[in-house]
Amino acid sequence: MMADQLFGGKPVLQFSTGHDRRTFLKWAGLVGVGATFATGLVPSTAQAAELKTGILTSSKAAKAATDIDILNYALTLEYLEADFYAKGLAAGFLSGRELELITPIGDHENQHVAAVTQTITTLGGTPVAKPTITYPAGIFDNRDNFLKNASVFEELGVTAYHGQVPLITSGDILGAAASIAGVESRHAAVIASLIGGNPFPNQIEKNASMETVLAAVGPLVS
Amino acid sequence: MTSISSARADFVRGQLDQVSGKQALFALNNRWALASKADFANDIDVLNYALTLEYLEAAFYQQGNAAGLLSGTEKGYLATIQSDEEFHVTALFDTIKKLGGTPVEKPGVGFGDAFASRDSYLTTSVTFENVGVGAYLGAAGFIKDKGVLQAAAGIFGVEARHAAVVANLLGMPAEGGVYKGAFETPIAQADVLAKVTPFLMSQMGTVPAGGVQTGGGAAAGKDQTGMFVLGGAALLGAAGAAVYAGRHRADEATDQI
Repeated sequence: MMADQLFGGKPVLQFSTGHDRRTFLKWAGLVGVGATFATGLVPSTAQAAELKTGILTSSKAAKAATDIDILNYALTLEYLEADFYAKGLAAGFLSGRELELITPIGDHENQHVAAVTQTITTLGGTPVAKPTITYPAGIFDNRDNFLKNASVFEELGVTAYHGQVPLITSGDILGAAASIAGVESRHAAVIASLIGGNPFPNQIEKNASMETVLAAVGPLVS
Repeated sequence: MTSISSARADFVRGQLDQVSGKQALFALNNRWALASKADFANDIDVLNYALTLEYLEAAFYQQGNAAGLLSGTEKGYLATIQSDEEFHVTALFDTIKKLGGTPVEKPGVGFGDAFASRDSYLTTSVTFENVGVGAYLGAAGFIKDKGVLQAAAGIFGVEARHAAVVANLLGMPAEGGVYKGAFETPIAQADVLAKVTPFLMSQMGTVPAGGVQTGGGAAAGKDQTGMFVLGGAALLGAAGAAVYAGRHRADEATDQI
């Protein structure tokens, strides 16, 4: 399970408001990834049931506001990615072709943050604030740790975007999400090839199911 | 407006290193402006369009890998890419049947000098994969069934992986080669057709009926001139088609935005 490995399965996100945190967790649950990043929530059986109900009714209840929630979920992940690459690149242990390949990834994540923020604002929504991010020790200690976490991260990002596809109602937002998702796929494949991983792990990009999430969330959230 | 249409033209020619945030946002919010409503009548139309492209890609890798130009890690990568494309063919074929449609027939293909060397093989591969990425993104807005959309998006992402990894094998620049900016760019059906037609033309003489020309309408008529001008070796044809598509695209963008 991918989410177990990223940052050693330790929570890294702290939200400035309870609303932001609830929004993130709601959509992390729906699309299947990301809930393990956040601190301070252990879903009770009742909450898990609520999430399940949310899924069942989401297609009917889907409105513009719902798409904004999904965008805010994506924004949180993009904030995390942008921050991750900024710190990793600043640590300065990449060089040559690797540096050339990773540097644009950081730029892309920053542009994703800007574009998703702008899209939320354009739609009349309120973008979430950048969460406080605290990484476990060792993530940025050397090239291997950085790239291995980057690899897990990118695969998770791909899965996250693909999990959202059937939930997004607006064609424009779907197009935006897809155009970002494809770039995350490129990142994932390139990084996998740098660390001797498999750049093509699936014939069709996977997306996580609700069952996977609920099974994974419980034991991992602090 | 002008800047966006020229940015698109540049992208097609592979000269666009990076889209500015402002341009990207503009493109993002006009994501579907490229697609014309007449392009696809229904999901089966879109799926048959995708199936034709996947047939073409699968045949391309079957021939390319059989040419014995590669070794080591890259040989393994390209073998996986071939099996991915074959899987996509099967998946699309089955989906079309399940939906009660009739899958298009496998088109006749010819790749000219693409397999003359390792570099020409991989260079053509990058072109193909990026066309595939743009084609899926350009067609996604037409898909109505969420399950079909999920599958198409899943294939789209894998094509993006192929494009990036093969570009990296060639040592292409990171930005503008391995990556195409922070956002993938959709390619309209008429432009995709202009790009792949040389590969379909070289054996068939005509574009197969019921194949990729699903309702190209006036745009397809316009393309006829371009197809014969392009001709020649497949690789050069693809490059020429890209330039042609760039011009066509610039006109189109002017029309539509």
